[in-house]
Amino acid sequence: MTETPQLPPEDMPEDRSSLAAELALGVLTGAEKAAALRLQLADPAFAEEVTAWDKRLAPLYLDFAEQAPPPETWRGISARLDGPAVDTSGLIRRLQAWRTGALLSGALAASLAAMLLVRPSVAPPAPAPQVAPQMAVAQMVSPKADMMVVARYDAATAQLKLRADNMPQGELSPELWVIPADGKPRSLGFISPTGTTRMAVSPKMRIMLEDGVTLAITMEPPADTPHDSPSSAPVAAGKITVI
Amino acid sequence: MSDADPISAADAARIRLVAALSGVARQDRAALRQVYEMTSAKLFGICLRISSDRGAAEDILQDVYIKVWNRAGRFDADRASPITWLCAIARNTAIDWQRASGRVAVAPEEAAYAVADDRIRADQGIEQDQQTARIHHCLGELEERQGAAIRAAFFDGLTYADIAARMDVPLGTMKSWVRRGLQRLKGCLGDD
Repeated sequence: MTETPQLPPEDMPEDRSSLAAELALGVLTGAEKAAALRLQLADPAFAEEVTAWDKRLAPLYLDFAEQAPPPETWRGISARLDGPAVDTSGLIRRLQAWRTGALLSGALAASLAAMLLVRPSVAPPAPAPQVAPQMAVAQMVSPKADMMVVARYDAATAQLKLRADNMPQGELSPELWVIPADGKPRSLGFISPTGTTRMAVSPKMRIMLEDGVTLAITMEPPADTPHDSPSSAPVAAGKITVI
Repeated sequence: MSDADPISAADAARIRLVAALSGVARQDRAALRQVYEMTSAKLFGICLRISSDRGAAEDILQDVYIKVWNRAGRFDADRASPITWLCAIARNTAIDWQRASGRVAVAPEEAAYAVADDRIRADQGIEQDQQTARIHHCLGELEERQGAAIRAAFFDGLTYADIAARMDVPLGTMKSWVRRGLQRLKGCLGDD
């Protein structure tokens, strides 16, 4: 894994410790926050710095005054735990839909499910206020975490930027899929097995790039246009986090 | 100070919380209820301070405990204090809400200096009090505006742009104040 590849210099203060401190303090927004979060996922040394800053700032939590929440708050939590949208049930439903769509074998869905169990989602159900996401990130990893594709979506430009590390290279090409709530994978197109790919996302696809939605990579025969459905098990998968 | 040993009380509370979190990791609903009873007032205080909106804070608090339910398996008692782990989830969730909603707390700059009442400290123990006193000492050593900016970021969840607007300075100036302040803070806390 390389260090901080593709990070625009203007997004990166020279001092990484500053960036780690800014991430822990919570002052970063937009592209800067996305770059810092990617670095935190990709670079253990940077992640340790963020953790060290979290620890430095932690004594300040003592200063937040306590306020008892109203009793209905617990009832709301309890009701949400009973509801269908909690934990991975939504994902399982999507995987079942994918499987029963007869596009793919059960083994594929199982492999994707296993992959996502290995790599738990970073983001639980989205918070209540829904506005158009400005920036979304996803880290797609293989079960052994020996290959990785990091995606960043900027809603302002509708551009998806991907960076592939250690993807297999051969006759097959990596194809990127989004799996929205209906469980049917849609191709976003082929990506380069190395380095950075930039792609414009069509309006039809943009609305699918929501928090918690799965992105997956399969290895497919090269084609001029994206395939209608994947023909093989994903080699890497991960969930979108809107930031 | 009462006859009860405050360190033991704090340790006992931490042990109970760690045990409850490991129950939550096993998807035990009663354990989540226990975590909620031990921590909801603290976490609601964080949500309320950052969102400045009671209704929103209630929604955020629900999201926080759903996250706790989903993530408790990843809590590592050897690496983090349970209350710090929970407070961080609450603060980050409230900040995400604030950014997504486009709302910014409009509290005046002086609010950055506001400190919670002492009531919450009763069961926190001497060690935590000392650490908090230390970071306050170090924040106090900073240039006043640097310290105020860092407090506004931490307690109100403000972005660089928000703090710059609140303190009426250019964005670049604010960034360099905060970066310099954080580096001095690190030096003062002396854990390099």
